Amino acid sequence: MSQVIPVEQLKSLTMSIYRYDPSVDEKPYMQDIVIEVPTDKDIMVLDALHLAKDQEPSLSYRRSCREGVCGSDGMNINGKNGLACVTPLSEVVKRNKLTIRPMPGLPVVRDLIVDMKQFFDQLEKVKPYLITNSDNPEIERTQSPEEREELDGLYECILCGCCSTSCPSFWWNPDKFLGPAALLQSWRFIADSRDEATEERLDALEDSFSLYRCHGIMNCVSVCPKGLNPTEAISNIRNKLINREK
Amino acid sequence: MVFDDLRNYNESALNALTKAISTKKVIEKDNRPVNLNLLTINLPIIGLSSILHRISGLAVFICFPLLVWLLSISLESEKRFSDLQNSFQEMVLFKLVIFLIFVGFIYHLLAGVKKLLSEVFGFGETLKSGSLLSWTVFGLTFVMSFMVLFKIFNL
Ligand code: SF4
Ligand code: SF4
Ligand code: FES
Repeated sequence: MSQVIPVEQLKSLTMSIYRYDPSVDEKPYMQDIVIEVPTDKDIMVLDALHLAKDQEPSLSYRRSCREGVCGSDGMNINGKNGLACVTPLSEVVKRNKLTIRPMPGLPVVRDLIVDMKQFFDQLEKVKPYLITNSDNPEIERTQSPEEREELDGLYECILCGCCSTSCPSFWWNPDKFLGPAALLQSWRFIADSRDEATEERLDALEDSFSLYRCHGIMNCVSVCPKGLNPTEAISNIRNKLINREK
Repeated sequence: MVFDDLRNYNESALNALTKAISTKKVIEKDNRPVNLNLLTINLPIIGLSSILHRISGLAVFICFPLLVWLLSISLESEKRFSDLQNSFQEMVLFKLVIFLIFVGFIYHLLAGVKKLLSEVFGFGETLKSGSLLSWTVFGLTFVMSFMVLFKIFNL
């Protein structure tokens, strides 16, 4: 497709992007790439990355849906984690500069792509699926509208990892502290009226690391692109842990 | 025929791999970089107040022996007590150190109360109310520190 925007409606923006290619680079470095962005409309950080990639074809990042659904383009944008595809430039660009780094705390595979294994290992530990012991009912397991409402603000998580990788407790103990995303999912199934493994789920969180490493810093809440509140979920679980009869 | 070859090939490849793993040849150290430069990551007010809570706690803890030492001097005799009192009145540095310990202590105390409030009563669990509480703690620390400042320096 040819360039449709007239030249006078463009202005340049300096992007500073974290680069690392394991096959050539000893160490990661920051590369400045100047792109031309339209002045008469807002574009997303992901669009800006595409423009940068036009100049530097080796620039790598994940993305798929480009509309905040798949959760693959979490990255650190001017110091704050977010999804590139739903973050408009007007919200983040400061002094005409846009700095992009991979999500903090996870090993970098290449450029903005991080290895999410630690993140998904922690998710797996909370068994993010319904567990039932009773016999299967004739029809599906039903919920009242009220019971279903309990899951609002929990089921929407797209597992982008923005929250856990902005959490200091997760940086220091990514193998022992489950992190906000996994804990939000844990609560999602504890709160589900159809789930029958609440006690087992709570048992698994009793130790001093899995959940109790959360210090309520709320970095997770401030970055979640879906507007979810893992801190609240964590304190709900904590209350359940404290109040349950042993 | 072809399949046999393939099977043999796979088997020998697998054997080589197993051997390599058992002799730890393929297990290299993970030297992939990690992006964790705290200066590049922005820190919301709640995070800042939580980190300061730890730092102030540590600082006050470290200064504690100093205070105990001063107390023990003051308890030795009446003369030592008035000596200490005089040097406190005369040395600005002495006053300053005591003042700073006070500031650390006040902050730590208030941030501790905030933490209790949110853990026991669930206050400040949304981003807004949490930030507001953090600002309140900062503000109160500021005000109380000034009161202590006036008191210590007899202003
Ligand atoms: S809670 Fe929000 S930030 Fe965390 S993984 Fe889910 S969608 Fe992403
Ligand atoms: S509130 Fe808890 S889980 Fe969220 S960022 Fe802070 S320590 Fe991490
Ligand atoms: S590309 Fe799918 S969430 Fe951004």
